Amino acid sequence: MNAPELAGDTLYAVIDSLEAGVVLLDGERRILHWNRWLERRSGLASREVAGRRLEDVLPVIAGSRLDQAVSHAIRDRLPSLLSPALHGTLLPLYQTPDDRRRERRLQQLTHVIAPLRAGAVACMIQISDVTANISRERQLRQQTDSLRRSWTQDALTGLANRRAFDEALDREFAQARQSEQSIGLLIADLDHFTDYNARYGREQGDAALRRIAATLTDGWVDAGDLIARHGGQAFAVLLPGAGRADVCRLASQLRDRIARLGISFAGSPLADHLTVSIGTTAMHPTTEADTHTLRSSADVALFQAKHDGRDRAVFFSAADGSFQPCC
Amino acid sequence: MNVLNELQLDALGEIFNIGVGRAANSLSLIVSDEVLLSAPSVMVVSRDDAAKILLGTDLQQFSTVTQHFSGPFDADAMLVFPEANALEIVRLMVGPHMSIDDLAQYEQEAMCEIGNIILNACMSSLADLLRISFDSTLPLHCFGSTESLPILDGEAERLVLLLQVDMVISQQHIQGHILFLLSVASLSSLLACLDDYLRAQGLA
Repeated sequence: MNAPELAGDTLYAVIDSLEAGVVLLDGERRILHWNRWLERRSGLASREVAGRRLEDVLPVIAGSRLDQAVSHAIRDRLPSLLSPALHGTLLPLYQTPDDRRRERRLQQLTHVIAPLRAGAVACMIQISDVTANISRERQLRQQTDSLRRSWTQDALTGLANRRAFDEALDREFAQARQSEQSIGLLIADLDHFTDYNARYGREQGDAALRRIAATLTDGWVDAGDLIARHGGQAFAVLLPGAGRADVCRLASQLRDRIARLGISFAGSPLADHLTVSIGTTAMHPTTEADTHTLRSSADVALFQAKHDGRDRAVFFSAADGSFQPCC
Repeated sequence: MNVLNELQLDALGEIFNIGVGRAANSLSLIVSDEVLLSAPSVMVVSRDDAAKILLGTDLQQFSTVTQHFSGPFDADAMLVFPEANALEIVRLMVGPHMSIDDLAQYEQEAMCEIGNIILNACMSSLADLLRISFDSTLPLHCFGSTESLPILDGEAERLVLLLQVDMVISQQHIQGHILFLLSVASLSSLLACLDDYLRAQGLA
């Protein structure tokens, strides 16, 4: 059984209730139908535009891609798509009168189609409002970016956080093993920082951490090295390619730099400013060695630095179990 | 594979170069800058060989835009760019004020439109010169690797009319391909239309 045919006025009623703009043109580009969605967004009533040529109603399209697309549809019967990225606000269409006053056009995705055997209709233009999609996409992207940052970044200092550090350590360690290169690690722990916080308050403590983070990232090490906040008052620096001499020199430099910041610390038993204890190590990863060996070697060195009286840097070698002060 | 004689290949090359020239004009209009397009080579190859030629380009991730054309002969037309090139084209088309991240959200539709312009221009040039007409679907954009290109699916005996496309936009050279997948019957209809055209030109 054949489907019953729809009468012309029923079809127009359907087109009028669509949630998209529809313009039907004849072969001379005269407007045959201008649906209700378009009336509302263009401010032009259907009876004002009926029978007029499209470019007389919308002078803005002269010479535009929409102009060409209409010709393509009428002359060659080929359909076109006009993307929001390239023609998003071509037509003066607005969601609200307020948007019209502010000249805030809705974002348009336009299809120009040569209808299949449809009487006098030679071309159909269909316009979708993608404003909401675009702003939603933009919002989602911003949220994704900020989530990605909070997932890997320490909020206070902007340095990599522990999670990002652990991932980088796994990656760089495997890389060092594969390329048979040395890898160094340095852990710096601020001396008596709990006392500093108790004396000066949390806010000033945070400010001190930020200043130290800034001095860590001002070009002191290579771009390929990773600097992370490793805990409340500790920082870690992962140094791919660095050997014993390199990590020792860097540890000693770092201690000097933090001292030179001269962050006053009246209650410190060590100096009149904030000081740091540093444990450092370097190794050529063997097939048996894992990241734990590297990490615990730096921890052992840090423990030794504290045990020796703090405000110093100590190197520990996992290969021969020896300690060496870095100066 | 040498299904077409030299005269037929020359004629197709000329027709498609008129097409991509028109597409370049349309694209120039959008960016208000000169866009150049040329199709320096046309060949007919098996689908396996087409895949090998695409694989020969160093990247294996592709951005494709397809349209199905029907008329005196049917063809699946496909514009294929390595994915990085596609993003570069969109960047150059949309303008430098947008970051790569922002672009990614526009890439699909913008690339769809650029493909639509190029494929329509090629087919309308063919239609004009051969005095035929086609219907077409709207363009569809996809990402995929060489393994998942539709070129490897479906009837085994379909042939590929393969065009290399060279694009110059803001002094950047970007290369891609246009593929027309044709059944054997469609290819012979195309050749019949082409021979009529050559005869009308007094060339065959």
